[in-house]
Amino acid sequence: MRIIVDETRCEGYGFCAEAAPHLLELDDEGELTVLSEQVAPDEAANAEAAVRVCPVAALRLQS
Amino acid sequence: MTGIPDGPSLDLDLFSDDALTDPFPGYQLIRDTAPAVYLPRYRSWAMGRYADVRAALGDWESFSSAQGIGLNDLANAATQGMIIATDPPEHDKLRNVLAARLSPKAIRNLKADIERRADELVEPLVRQGSFDAVGDLARAFPISIVLDLIGLPQDGRDKVLGWADAAFSASGPPGPRTDAAFPLLQDQLAYLSSVQPDQLTPGSMGRAIYDAAAAGEIRQESCVPLMSAYVTAGLDTTINAISNAVWYFARDPEQWDLVRADHSLIPGAFNEVLRIEAPVQFFCRVATRDVEVDGQRLAAGSRVMMLYASANRDERKWQDPDRFDVTRNPVDHLAFGYGMHGCAGQGLARLEGHSILGALARRVERFEVGTPVRRINQLIRGLDGLPTTVVPAA
Ligand code: HEM
Ligand code: SF4
Repeated sequence: MRIIVDETRCEGYGFCAEAAPHLLELDDEGELTVLSEQVAPDEAANAEAAVRVCPVAALRLQS
Repeated sequence: MTGIPDGPSLDLDLFSDDALTDPFPGYQLIRDTAPAVYLPRYRSWAMGRYADVRAALGDWESFSSAQGIGLNDLANAATQGMIIATDPPEHDKLRNVLAARLSPKAIRNLKADIERRADELVEPLVRQGSFDAVGDLARAFPISIVLDLIGLPQDGRDKVLGWADAAFSASGPPGPRTDAAFPLLQDQLAYLSSVQPDQLTPGSMGRAIYDAAAAGEIRQESCVPLMSAYVTAGLDTTINAISNAVWYFARDPEQWDLVRADHSLIPGAFNEVLRIEAPVQFFCRVATRDVEVDGQRLAAGSRVMMLYASANRDERKWQDPDRFDVTRNPVDHLAFGYGMHGCAGQGLARLEGHSILGALARRVERFEVGTPVRRINQLIRGLDGLPTTVVPAA
């Protein structure tokens, strides 16, 4: 599974990074960086939570 | 379309005084009846369950905003071109101009100033002991912040709030309330058209809109509608959230004790206030094609009310949804909408809400409130007055 950010929609709320800190991080500039696009099985639940909390639907999962 | 379309329908009045005072039984009936219920009085469908509302908001290709988000043709025509009533690609151009100034990154540098303003407002009110939590607190705060950020000149400002309230109510169903509100929406637009770009504070969010037009990023005609988005969306919404917070904490002092004991609960508490009392009750979408909602068919062209306020109390999604619980942290509530049109100002709204709750949590041990006066508006829900006495923290 991969986690994909639509950069044109992401506005940097960072809720996703709180939900999946191993996969996503908000840098000091307030920009979202993807730490790992590949989602390991034990991170799947966090990845789903990240997708769920993004207020502008900028994240999706691809299997 | 004439007659009643196939499918579940309810002869429900959501806009009577009683319903606007307590809309939740009506929402319950809609949720209990079907994923989408036809309301013949408004020639519109209503969607009230969390999963369906969220899915529709996330699918703008099937559920369009471009034919307006209200329940009458006049308002839908008057709001054409406003960001809230656009689809991509037009939407995204407008959104970029706002996001450049409203995204969390863009408002980071406002934090210290907004926190200071919250302290300066709350401190004398607590010293005074008694105040109106709507007029003196909830209204005073966003008005000063948002109108300063937009950079509006001082004269004319006193009218802005009444116009903003009406700009929402004007999108209700045809009838006397809508007729009364509509001229005020027009007054707001006329006032904003009369403001010259060089009257707006240099560097302000308002000025940035005109700069974007000058740079060719958006059309000149988009400036006034974008200004209107700031002035309308940025006021009553946050105002209601703040007064609702005081009202809920007054009635549930144990919840206030939790927040006072642990200020890290403040963001979750603000989310919970928004969940249980969504300031914006609904906006509409129009189906662009025949769609299925949880197995139920809606014909292309159907207008559908997205009942954020109902979704936020859907028992399918939330445990004990009518209970106010600051430890719930309902991050995925729908009070800000969701998806492409998800509130562009939510970073600012949160900053304002957290600052006020923080300033109160440091100073107030107990809120005691008298009888709240409800403000009747067809789209937004909140109070018009809340007599409040506080017991200061020792
Ligand atoms: C607690 C306070 C607030 C609440 C509950 C709220 C609620 C909402 C909701 C429900 C929408 C979704 C519209 C849709 O689905 O069609 C929205 C959109 C919007 N809000 Fe807010 N809002 C708040 C504060 C603010 C503030 C402070 C601003 C700006 C200063 C703002 C600006 C906007 C704008 C520009 C949109 C349109 C976004 C778009 O169409 O892409 N809001 N808001
Ligand atoms: S929650 Fe959404 S908007 Fe916010 S940083 Fe993550 S992807 Fe971007």
